Amino acid sequence: MGEYIFNREYDVIVIGAGNGGLTAGAICAKNGLRTLILEQHNLPGGVATSFVRGRFEFEPSLHEISDFGPVDNAGAVRNLLENTLELGVEWMRVPEAYRLIIPNEKGGRLDVCMPFGVDAYIDKIESEDPGCRPYVEKFIALCKEVVDAFAYMAASKGNVDKKYMQANFGNFLRTASYSLQSIFDAIKVPYKSQKIISAYWCYLGLDVNKLNFPTYAAMFYKYLSKGAYIPRYRSHGFTVALDKKIRDFGGTIEYKTKVVNILVENNQVIGVKTEYGEYIKTSNIIANTNAHNVYGKLVNKADVPEMAVKSCNSRDIGPSVLVAYLGLNKSAFELGIHEYSYFIYSKPTTKEIYKGFCSFEDPVGQATVCLNNAIPDCSPPGTSILYLTTLYHGDMWKDVTEQDYVTTKNKFAKAMIKEFEKVVGVSVTPYIEEIEVASPVTLARYTDAYNGSIYGYEITNWDSVIPRLLMIKDEEFIKGLKFSGGFAFRCHGYASSLLSGETAALLTVKDIKAAKQQ
Amino acid sequence: MSKKLNVKIKAIGLLDLLAFKKLVPNRKKKFEEAPATEIRKTPPMNELAAKLHPKHQKFTITDVVELTSSMKQFELSSDTAAYFRAGQYVSVKLDINGHKVTRPYSIMSSPKAALSGKYMLGVKKADDGFVTEYIFDNWKEGTVIETSGPEGNFYYEDIRDAKTIIGIAGGCGITPFFSMAQAIRDGIEDFNLCLLYGCKTLNDIALRKELDVIAQTDSRVKVVYVLSDEKKEGYEHGFITADVIKKYAGDEPYSIFMCGPQVMYDFISKEIAKLGLEKKYVRRELYGQINNVEKYEGFPKDKVGKKYKLTIHMGQNTTITEALSTESILVAVERAKIKAPSLCRTGECGCCRSRLIAGDVFIVEDTDGRRMADKKFGYVHICSSFPLSDLEIEIPVE
Repeated sequence: MGEYIFNREYDVIVIGAGNGGLTAGAICAKNGLRTLILEQHNLPGGVATSFVRGRFEFEPSLHEISDFGPVDNAGAVRNLLENTLELGVEWMRVPEAYRLIIPNEKGGRLDVCMPFGVDAYIDKIESEDPGCRPYVEKFIALCKEVVDAFAYMAASKGNVDKKYMQANFGNFLRTASYSLQSIFDAIKVPYKSQKIISAYWCYLGLDVNKLNFPTYAAMFYKYLSKGAYIPRYRSHGFTVALDKKIRDFGGTIEYKTKVVNILVENNQVIGVKTEYGEYIKTSNIIANTNAHNVYGKLVNKADVPEMAVKSCNSRDIGPSVLVAYLGLNKSAFELGIHEYSYFIYSKPTTKEIYKGFCSFEDPVGQATVCLNNAIPDCSPPGTSILYLTTLYHGDMWKDVTEQDYVTTKNKFAKAMIKEFEKVVGVSVTPYIEEIEVASPVTLARYTDAYNGSIYGYEITNWDSVIPRLLMIKDEEFIKGLKFSGGFAFRCHGYASSLLSGETAALLTVKDIKAAKQQ
Repeated sequence: MSKKLNVKIKAIGLLDLLAFKKLVPNRKKKFEEAPATEIRKTPPMNELAAKLHPKHQKFTITDVVELTSSMKQFELSSDTAAYFRAGQYVSVKLDINGHKVTRPYSIMSSPKAALSGKYMLGVKKADDGFVTEYIFDNWKEGTVIETSGPEGNFYYEDIRDAKTIIGIAGGCGITPFFSMAQAIRDGIEDFNLCLLYGCKTLNDIALRKELDVIAQTDSRVKVVYVLSDEKKEGYEHGFITADVIKKYAGDEPYSIFMCGPQVMYDFISKEIAKLGLEKKYVRRELYGQINNVEKYEGFPKDKVGKKYKLTIHMGQNTTITEALSTESILVAVERAKIKAPSLCRTGECGCCRSRLIAGDVFIVEDTDGRRMADKKFGYVHICSSFPLSDLEIEIPVE
């Protein structure tokens, strides 16, 4: 250890103040660990932030948080943020599950607005697709079992009793390694119902033939049974509250301080080096960034175990986004935009849309949010905020040059706005007072995300949340180096990232206790 | 659900349970079978982001031209200069006798010149300008300077703006419009630019020849000079009023873009109000830091001239210094020879966002670009916050 001069030491250093870094830091600090969070940007949250243009404050990334629930039916995320960490943030309920429009569906346009609530959802889908009820009920019961099984697995902290699982969660075990489409087929969910049920697929970024069933099932059932919530003052409203909580617990956060090197000795973390050349000592790191960055850049090559490199190379990085943020000078009501969340799929199959995400063509799928329909006063009276999101894999943009960057992103944004106007039958373009278009480059710029990815590694059957959770303990390729966030063991999305920070922190607390006892 | 369903899923494949058991070994096998090839350090999106948005750029001054008696044009050269949108600015980082200060200057050259590593900046000497005086005295051919990447949102956006832009320029405010006119000429931008350029006298017009040449060769660019202190044939006389705007705007819809000193905005805003335009059709560039905050509505008169104790926490260091009520916290920090983050110096960009631990500040509403939650949690943008008491503040390291 002689070659580094450490001026300070922490029990744990969290690299990155994204969703999973903030919750990791908060739980570590709450448990009395000397905690330091280092963040390269000047804001907390990563993509969970906000930005101001003119008289509008935009939400950059969040559509809705799952596993949240109302006070009397709290989900894991509400429990973490409001019961464990007592943030005291104001949360708004999203009014409906979604409006799904597939203009060119087999047999004509599909256009449904689905409610939250399991019973209401089933009643609605039966009215849209008569006769589907028994199959949908079966599907949803199966989703519930998946949620219960995950809850058991999470509570067992890596010590799963296989016999108990077999006795109680047989269906879960049977479906664990299948795709969403296989389960639809196996329990004969009618075609139209399949389309309605799978609407959320783009939140996980993989088409239904590849998307792991239990991962989707858990998200889907949590939305139905607990509704969805968003913070009143954009994501910055809760990430800045987390920042304060971490300080209140005695933790330290330093912004504009990039970690450039993770120091390793005998396969054990010993500290970090910052962009300012400071060496800080620690035996525990929670990396709220992806493994590609950590093993490809932050750890010296000689110190990276071969299996860590191989694990990166075995996985595909999920997509990035293109988002058009619009500040409109008419109210949502005047514009005829009555729903909060729109899924618009311009090709009939998820496979074709996913192919669009892996292309450099005009967007063929979008998830669009009108913020005022959940937070009526999120913008001044007589105005509204609309943001339209599609996905692109970063590599699809690899030939874009500096000169054609703006025209490229604007071309795609315009195509997406035009499609929204056409499909929903409204006009928004003449009312655009402010516009900002974020691309994979924007993500890379502000969050340093690998290739601009907003998601983690793709959630295929072999790399779904189940084997990731079962392998938590095996994946500490370098001792003392854990991960949190969308790339980690709970897969991506706000809820998963926030909860992954809690798990990574609790495992760290346990390790430190064990080390002290030795 | 009203009734509890007792679902028993039939086997999907013969070996479902085995498949579950195999999830872990299977994943391990996937890892083992993957190649151990080196992980790409900088994938294409991060590479493009670094090119478009460098945090720092270094240039050598390769040419200095006197545009008017009080305005100079500096040519900045480097191997690479980040591409930008016509109308954007760079923040120049200066070290004046140990004081690390910044100033935002619009890039006045065409984005095309950036491809060959060149920017032009136009600097007007301010009456009591400590920084512009330094620049005029010290920036010579061969001087090496540092800037930020291109910043700001003062550019044409075809999805949002009318196809015709009425550009209202006052004094040094001509620079972003000069960049836009060249971008139109160079085929980078496509809109009609009708420039109303306000100056005191004929001699105060900068870049007249260059502007006239562009206007003669490209029908999309039109330039009207408005002289306030001099009557000349072929020139508008007086101030830029609603009538002058109407006279040159034509019948097509138009957006107004303004760039000039604060006094110009105060006057023009009243004139523009007469035109009954929607807010989306009126945009203005930031005017730089406020130098006369005591004249703004709401500034407590009894605080004028007051000096306060300012405690600054930055990284591991704590510094105690003095701050004047009529100077922004950022200026006080710069006076104390501490390097602080700053770009726009008008409260908008949020680069200098800092945590106010104790004390009260005054913020002009127009320059309060803070996020709602930041107001609630006591964060301030130090470039637009003025001390009204002793302050304790945490500023991110720069």
